[in-house]
Amino acid sequence: ARGLAANKETHFGFQTVSEEEKGEKVYQVFENVAKKYDIMNDSMSLGIHRVWKDVLLYKMNPSPGILLLDVAGGTGDIAFRFIDYVRSVRERQLRRKLKHHQNLSWQEIADSYQAEAVKPLGDSQVVVCDINKEMLKVGRQKAQHLGYSEGLSWVVGNAEELPFGDEKFDVYTIAFGIRNVTHIDLALQEAYRVLKPGGRFLCLEFSQVNNPLLARLYDLYSFQIIPVLGEIIAGDWKSYQYLVESIRRFPPQEEFKAMIEDAGFLKVDYLNLTSGIVAIHSGFKL
Amino acid sequence: VRCQLCPPQRALQASAVLRRVSDEHKKEPAASSSQHQFDSHPTDHQPEQEPQGPRPSYTGQGGQESEDYESEEQLQHRILTAALEFVPEHGWSAEAIAEGAKTLGLSAAAAGMFHNDGSELVLHFVSQCNTKLSELLEQEQKLVQLGKTEKKTTDQFLRDALEARLRMLIPYIEKWPQAVSILLLPHNIPSSLSLLTSMIDDIWHYAGDQSTDFNWYTRRAVLTGIYNTTVLVMMQDSSPDFEDTWRFLENRVADAVNMDSTAKQVKSTGEALVQGLMGAVVTVSTAARALRAE
Repeated sequence: ARGLAANKETHFGFQTVSEEEKGEKVYQVFENVAKKYDIMNDSMSLGIHRVWKDVLLYKMNPSPGILLLDVAGGTGDIAFRFIDYVRSVRERQLRRKLKHHQNLSWQEIADSYQAEAVKPLGDSQVVVCDINKEMLKVGRQKAQHLGYSEGLSWVVGNAEELPFGDEKFDVYTIAFGIRNVTHIDLALQEAYRVLKPGGRFLCLEFSQVNNPLLARLYDLYSFQIIPVLGEIIAGDWKSYQYLVESIRRFPPQEEFKAMIEDAGFLKVDYLNLTSGIVAIHSGFKL
Repeated sequence: VRCQLCPPQRALQASAVLRRVSDEHKKEPAASSSQHQFDSHPTDHQPEQEPQGPRPSYTGQGGQESEDYESEEQLQHRILTAALEFVPEHGWSAEAIAEGAKTLGLSAAAAGMFHNDGSELVLHFVSQCNTKLSELLEQEQKLVQLGKTEKKTTDQFLRDALEARLRMLIPYIEKWPQAVSILLLPHNIPSSLSLLTSMIDDIWHYAGDQSTDFNWYTRRAVLTGIYNTTVLVMMQDSSPDFEDTWRFLENRVADAVNMDSTAKQVKSTGEALVQGLMGAVVTVSTAARALRAE
């Protein structure tokens, strides 16, 4: 039942709030942190979040022509990496093609260079979808600043009710976003809906640490240091308190895997990064 | 281990891609029982009625669709088979698998089900070739038993069997060095070794080898050495229809078979093992060269 009772409750970090409230509160959190989002990521994770996102792309291994939907993609980290990856794969492909034809006429060589210039991504596209306009704004500014224009779209949308038709995308990613969604199962169902047959669901999210010693240190770091950093750098203790609490509320690896399977995905698996601080879950629509 | 309390809607949600097994039955040949599967759990073809996917069957809910669908492994085999036609262009790689998935109407992202290095594609192909070889040998044996053809001499039999098996590589011969280097990757060696030994076993079995003594090892080591060295010759052969390779094969088999007494056999086991080892060393160095060139 999708919150038929007006006072259906859920968690917001360690607080209990109504489901309606949660959406608003999450929106406010990200509205507040949008401008400092990237800096905070770097300082909280000591830059390791870049490695996590790189690993996500490595697992995805996209080829030119793939359509990516990056949900809760806000500031565009995944989208930019995707574009870089596809571009380099495409270059490699063209170079290999040239190597094979030993006796090319000058016309053919010129044509192939033109092909590369015209389709540097080989028809690949990424749609960045986020519920929060502020985050998207920061993302667009970043894109302009870094020079990303082609193959990139920015759409406002709710992960529980995506504004896209069925079976449109090859890959659906959601990085550090799904724990903020009020109804995770709905988001998973939407992911299933918009993916083409054979399409892949990838989720990068904080998860449970499997090493007890590290867990202790991680807890200490999370609750003592991160909110302080939040106050110093972003001037917002509460938002980062929410962030740390919401990580603890998110289901552990196996449970989330079961939720993904419930949505209909097959060959669901996960990869722990940094001893389980972060996990990449992957499933296929088969 | 799948979750115990699965909500009912999962059984009713028809798969987007997995075909009904009734379509499958008509097309897929049953693998011979002597064929080793390279995945740790062999896909049995008999209980195709039972689901091998994560969906349990709910007999009481009319959710019997899940019982009739092919398993994920069967879909993967289909994708890999479709991917083979793209190997001459893309090599043994995730790109070939992506192209194969596309011909089946799937998204190219389905190639993510496999390793990025194309290992599964090579192993699948080798396994397929071995199955085809077994079938060929089985048919031949039947013909001999029915008296329709004459029983071949051992050396003729070995030559023909190896030639038939090697001819299956011809469409992919340009990319075969890459395949060899993939087969020699440490994480693939258990599987590739097991495929190789089972193929050699098969050939000797149909050749009528019933030895239970040291000869068993001798024969396998010798034939493995012959096979490996012939593959290497084949990869560098540019003669019409690979005639140089077949001549090389003929000579090696003749050498091997013309060992008279058992005493000589025991001595030559040492030689055979050395031959096999040399073959392995040459294979590794060629593969290393191929890897560097890639």
